[in-house]
Amino acid sequence: MMRRFYPGFAVIIISGLYILLNSCLEVACIDETEAYVKASFYSYSSGEQAIPDSITLYGINKEENKIYDKFKITPPALIPLKDSTNYSTFVIRINGVNDTIDFRYWSYPHLVTKECGYTFYHHLDTLYHTKHAIDSVSKINENITTVNEENIRIYY
Amino acid sequence: MRRISVYITSTVMALASFTAKTAAQDTIQFPMKVRIGLEAAGSAKYFFEKDRLNLEGYISTDLNEKYSFVFIAGHSNFSYARYRDTSFLIYDYRTKGFYFRTGFDINLIKPKKSQGKYAVGFGLRYGLSLFTYDIPTITHENYWGKYQTSVSSTDEWAHFFEITPFVRAEIIKNISLGWTVSLRKMIDPGTGQHLKPVYLPGYGNGSKSFSPGISYFIIWSIPFKSRRIIIQPEEEEEEDTDLEQNPGNSNTGNFRQQNIRQSF
Repeated sequence: MMRRFYPGFAVIIISGLYILLNSCLEVACIDETEAYVKASFYSYSSGEQAIPDSITLYGINKEENKIYDKFKITPPALIPLKDSTNYSTFVIRINGVNDTIDFRYWSYPHLVTKECGYTFYHHLDTLYHTKHAIDSVSKINENITTVNEENIRIYY
Repeated sequence: MRRISVYITSTVMALASFTAKTAAQDTIQFPMKVRIGLEAAGSAKYFFEKDRLNLEGYISTDLNEKYSFVFIAGHSNFSYARYRDTSFLIYDYRTKGFYFRTGFDINLIKPKKSQGKYAVGFGLRYGLSLFTYDIPTITHENYWGKYQTSVSSTDEWAHFFEITPFVRAEIIKNISLGWTVSLRKMIDPGTGQHLKPVYLPGYGNGSKSFSPGISYFIIWSIPFKSRRIIIQPEEEEEEDTDLEQNPGNSNTGNFRQQNIRQSF
């Protein structure tokens, strides 16, 4: 009886070794690794979502490197914060009218996955802005993560 | 009087059938063992990957022919660096620590077949990992440029559950080989949700709440006592099948039938 039993076990034992040798493959990063401020645009008069005809956005002193350049965006607008400081200032041009928005926050590293490595999450404290085209900005979710959730509403 | 004789007759018949059934049961001596095992894959891989050392040993003792108590202890020293485009270091991570797992193994093979030499089953375990980690480099690049930081050495502990299907076979006397597939479920990584361990000693990839693994064991078995086990006779269908498969060899079947007749 055991003679019939034994070869089956040998196959299983050896197949385990085969699986072991093939279990160490590296996997590519497929997850979102950037934690953007996700901003939506609203009409201050109606309170309804209103996508501007043209958006231009760039970091202060980085005019040569625009994030959006006369875009008609599909909301939300994605705004990247600086990791190395606790503030980031942007110039935003809505339908040809310039404003600045200043974000105050604190940052901390977050492991996305072993394959993707670390990104920086942010906790939004305060928002300052000029009032040329913008009427007001409201915080919806102060945790800036890789999750696709609205963080601020810009009323113009 | 007629009623009394009916009672006596039925009692005698019931006793006779009980005696026959008991006599038809077979007994075997099952060797209860203490097993000492060494995980071979982690040590072997160290020769190819010097930045990953994993030493693991286990001791188990049979509680009966089906259940064993298991205690596993191990040590890991792991470092890992992740690059993008071969020159851009995304991060490097170092950890070392000890881990312990304890629980039970359940052998699903019947004692007559396993004879204490063969096992197919699964284990249920609780794991505890005591580790130190540091992240010397974290690099992140976005619109504002490249930013680099680090996380200094921190002591933590984590715990997890584990289900381990396993196979084990005695290759030579008292020496067995076996492998286990480990399906681990994190209870708490100990580091909070943002700095989950890239590698957790005894668990694997700590950034996942579920971590599979495979281990390969060399095991030394030490019999410490014999346990007498009553086994049920095989069912008629199985005997018929045996006879059909070996039509020329009908001795076994006759022998069994003779034994049963004798016990009557």
